[in-house]
Amino acid sequence: MAAVEVHQFAQCITCHAWSADRSMIAFCPNNNEVHIYSLSQDKWEKVHVLQKHDQIVSGIDWSARSNRIVTASHDRNSYVWNQEGSEWVPTLVILRLNRAALCVQWSPRENKFAVGSGAKTVCICYYEQDNNWWVSKLIRKRHDSSVTSVAWHPNNILLATTSTDGKCRVFSTFIKGVDTRDSKAGSVSDAKFGEQIVQLDLSFSWAFGVKWSPSGNTLAYVGHNSMIYFVDDVGPSPLAQNVAFRDLPLRDVLFVSEKMVIGVGFDCNPMVFAADERGICYLVEAGALLDHLSGSTYIEYQFSEAFGKFYGQSKHGVSNDAIEPSRSRGGVHDNCIM
Amino acid sequence: MATSIRLYLTCIRNTLEAALCLQNFPCQEVERHNKPEVEMKTSPELLLNPILVCRNEAEKCLIETSINSLRISLKVKQADELENILTKKFLRFLSMRAEAFQVLRRKPVQLQGLSIVISEESWVKVVAGHVHVVIPKLPCDGFCVDIDKEISELKMSVNTRGRLVATEFLKQFT
Repeated sequence: MAAVEVHQFAQCITCHAWSADRSMIAFCPNNNEVHIYSLSQDKWEKVHVLQKHDQIVSGIDWSARSNRIVTASHDRNSYVWNQEGSEWVPTLVILRLNRAALCVQWSPRENKFAVGSGAKTVCICYYEQDNNWWVSKLIRKRHDSSVTSVAWHPNNILLATTSTDGKCRVFSTFIKGVDTRDSKAGSVSDAKFGEQIVQLDLSFSWAFGVKWSPSGNTLAYVGHNSMIYFVDDVGPSPLAQNVAFRDLPLRDVLFVSEKMVIGVGFDCNPMVFAADERGICYLVEAGALLDHLSGSTYIEYQFSEAFGKFYGQSKHGVSNDAIEPSRSRGGVHDNCIM
Repeated sequence: MATSIRLYLTCIRNTLEAALCLQNFPCQEVERHNKPEVEMKTSPELLLNPILVCRNEAEKCLIETSINSLRISLKVKQADELENILTKKFLRFLSMRAEAFQVLRRKPVQLQGLSIVISEESWVKVVAGHVHVVIPKLPCDGFCVDIDKEISELKMSVNTRGRLVATEFLKQFT
């Protein structure tokens, strides 16, 4: 599979995020800055540099509807950036962390975001109108090690986390005054803030890259033992499936559709996993991928190879962008590692 | 002989290829620090099982991995007394210049060998896009072979010199 476009932005990229219309990308070139590039006439141009952090930026997320960027850094801070005119204006978030922040993600309704940290905690941050700042509530004493990845369920309440203790956990993050109890969410909406819904103990090694499927029925995450785990019916009696593969471990996954997952990692080659009618997951050969995705969508390796190479194996922030079949320019952006 | 060392080196290389899955990982214990976990050993869950590759009693390679760093300890072949002395001196020479090598540890983990610590940071710097070029050249092939060669050359020159000196010395009795 050849790369459709290759762009070399920096030697190494720790994390990145796309804007809602995929015309801009924000990434951290392995230092304390965040660069924003914009696509104009088939050329990427640097339009902004966000400087506020004083250590390496470990997580970026760009909210699709409210057009805000949240960044998390090893300096224990997080900033929410609002675009005002041509400038990005930062707002400090009081995370109350004493260790590095490792990952960040906006909730689907964009009224909250979650920050995973090396302090073995997860911060759920929300905007407080009265004080005019972002405050955080912590989920403490639930993880035995650093939280490597967080993922929001589409219902805006459930949050899945993976940690270097090899476990994947699902928490309720209901915050009074921010969330409303609705009957749709079912039993999970009764849970209090920070309540652990389920703990999945499938991996023997560190777990990374947790993601929910678009409908929220399936959860996928990867282990450092070259395994990928799919969990259906997250709740009291989850159904789990493990798929082992022979290549180097993955770092992150991305749901292309309800039945198909792309995994990227140290192997520098994206891998595709699909589920058949019976719901059994398997690894798809790379060549078969294009057949699967023929028609309205096609794979766009936005800046794979050279870029990925310079990415180094260790840094791999991966790319994860939702697929939009309506868009003609294509679906998945996957800046794989090589 | 040549094939057996190749097997040993291939084994090391394959192990390294799998072990070099490093990532940036800040310290869990100390605020705003980022240290090689393989040296700190503060959080046991961040370490992987060490692997020892042995060719024989004299030639061993210990590979210890953690989430953000890797330590390789080599024991270099020492067949006789002379090689023993030469190896010791040669490795001391290298260790004293550890700073220049960036990844070399000042003090080897095992006795009579040398240790290399590869952190995520140095890995990214060195690799800079040549993962598949660098891995084959890693300590395994190049390095082991070079050290062996260097030491046998040293041994040869010591022997040659010894022979010359002895010849010169014995000339006076003729």
